[in-house]
Amino acid sequence: MFEYNFHWRPVLKSLPDLLQAGLLTLEVAVLSMVIGITIGLCLALMRMKLQGPLKWFAVSWIEVARNTPVLFQLFFFGFGLGAMGVNLPPYVIIVTGLSFNCAGYLAENFRGGFQAVPDTQINAARCLGMNSWQAYTRIVIPQVFRIVYHPITNQMVWAVLMSSLGMMIGFRELSGETQFFASRTFRIFEYFAVTAVVYYVIVKVILGSSRLLSARLFRY
Amino acid sequence: MQETITFFSGFGASDLWFLGDAALKTLWISLLSISIGTVLGVIFGWMLHEGKWMAAATIGSILDIFRSVPLIIQLVLFYNFAPIVGLSLDPFGSGVVILTIYTAALVSNVARGGIEAVPVSMRKASRSLGMSYWQDLFHIVLPIGGRAVFPAWIGVVLGVMKDSALVSVLGYVELLKASQILITRTQEPFLILALAGAFYFALSYPISRYAAKFEQRWAQ
Amino acid sequence: MKKTITCLLSAALLATTPVKADTLDNVVDRGELRCGVVLDFPPIGYRDANNNPAGFDVDYCNDLAKALEVEAKIIPVTWSERLPIIATGRADVVFGATSDSLARARTVGFSIPYAIYFAQGVVNSKVEINSFEDMRGKRVAAAIGTVPEQEWLKIAKEWGEEHLYQSYQSENEVFLAVAQGKADIGITTNTAVKPITSQFKTLNAGPRMPWTADYTSIVGKRTDVTWLNYLNLFVTHQVRSGRYDELWGKYVGNNVPELRIPGVMY
Repeated sequence: MFEYNFHWRPVLKSLPDLLQAGLLTLEVAVLSMVIGITIGLCLALMRMKLQGPLKWFAVSWIEVARNTPVLFQLFFFGFGLGAMGVNLPPYVIIVTGLSFNCAGYLAENFRGGFQAVPDTQINAARCLGMNSWQAYTRIVIPQVFRIVYHPITNQMVWAVLMSSLGMMIGFRELSGETQFFASRTFRIFEYFAVTAVVYYVIVKVILGSSRLLSARLFRY
Repeated sequence: MQETITFFSGFGASDLWFLGDAALKTLWISLLSISIGTVLGVIFGWMLHEGKWMAAATIGSILDIFRSVPLIIQLVLFYNFAPIVGLSLDPFGSGVVILTIYTAALVSNVARGGIEAVPVSMRKASRSLGMSYWQDLFHIVLPIGGRAVFPAWIGVVLGVMKDSALVSVLGYVELLKASQILITRTQEPFLILALAGAFYFALSYPISRYAAKFEQRWAQ
Repeated sequence: MKKTITCLLSAALLATTPVKADTLDNVVDRGELRCGVVLDFPPIGYRDANNNPAGFDVDYCNDLAKALEVEAKIIPVTWSERLPIIATGRADVVFGATSDSLARARTVGFSIPYAIYFAQGVVNSKVEINSFEDMRGKRVAAAIGTVPEQEWLKIAKEWGEEHLYQSYQSENEVFLAVAQGKADIGITTNTAVKPITSQFKTLNAGPRMPWTADYTSIVGKRTDVTWLNYLNLFVTHQVRSGRYDELWGKYVGNNVPELRIPGVMY
């Protein structure tokens, strides 16, 4: 029954390479989040404040991003765009795909955040002599930031987890690198077990530092 | 003399049937894992609520692992681990097991949130009206807490439905895998990806609209 | 009394069941042969217009099942899955154009060679690659976990061109990538080049790769020598009965390679 012999030595030998790839995973996730937050903010504002084609552009982006699988989105940016003659390297495919997805999800979080701040507060700020820029940056944005802080943290964790799909498009982040090594030594279980631990640690570090940061940011 | 064999054939009518069959498989594997996973998740959520730190230290931390490791890694690990311990599971079986546990891990958090959303005073009132613990749980906590977290649960359902696409990594021919097979055979990525994407969207969008409407009504 | 007899009988049955059953017995007993086959490797393994498995390897699997008088069950595998599926015991054999490298033999067992391939490129028609040397500075693609990938990476390392290499999940994705222009040349096997290039106007046949021919074997459990012996016998019978010539002629062409390695016993 228990005929399988575990071989851990090759895995340990390639551990430095795996950790290096773990950094690449983090890089991709952070980059996608930065782009995703920027675009997500724009999409939320476009959906709330604008009418006409721009609004529909924002709405369709958000709904497509939220209602189709991430892997589908990655395939689309890979071979789908390739059929139209747009060939992106895997790094760009994964960053574009994750940013597209994150932007859709974050846009809805931002919209919820903005809606939670009553308009009367802006009026009150204007009455106190602030211009609308000041009212936004000093009254609205800090409150919205507070509301969306947790969703952003969660989305960051998601971005790390989703970046593992890089292995399906031949991108050698943590999962892709693991698959590459596993395909040479055929020790799939051993390699992926170690990789699972690395992901777990990355996620815990993100959540832990987010908690520390929030304790400092939201003291009052 | 030699019979002609075509290795790449264009997109034909039988391929629509192939895609439709695969779409049913996506529905089936999602339905199965979501229903079992939800029942398990609710039980775990209740244990987490009642068991305090003991439960948090045991099942809580185990379920946490399934939320902190990419689903694709979980699938690959389990699929390769099962035969080692003598379980002969096909891709479908392995997919159901992992998707179920994954759903349960996500639902347990939602369920605990639901139980905690019911004010303690209300539960005390129901108990002092002579309800037993179970009566209180089924007639007070379930309807009130359930309604509060219904949108969150729908979020989990849609997430798992879309994530079921990852079972394709094990070779289970669900919708996304079927489109991949067709793409490599017909080499027409754009058409096939559009079909697959439209199916996911048509499945997910109405449900998410319904959940949003429900949430709005509930908020009023 | 009856109960004791059944008890004794079942105990005896249990005792006679071998602790480590061998694959041959298992397959015959199960009535089913589980074959891992790589299905994105035309014409050796592919899906026909009805999306059913077909090709040289698929027919070989059916022949083996017929010889054993059992049903064949085709398990589609990718290049990187085809050896773990044996190591974990999910399949009995793999027909997957698997080269019998010494590194792989540490994990799985090989039969004698049942087919021979050469590595050859397919080139995007807009790119000018006529010889192996022309590949310098070009973007190269291959399927993950294959011999061409490993051989090419050795050369790319020498040339300092590892960054121009891109791996894909399957052979067909490699063709698609080259056809779309994601890569200039994809490395595949000689058998695939003709069907691919006759199908796509955007793909041309490329140069042969300089490394040695691929002697590919049927894969089985490394520790199960009786099973590997049976597979050897199967390979020789396929040649002796003329089935090998017939199937190779049907799927690949008339130049049927001789399954012999000159200068050494095999």
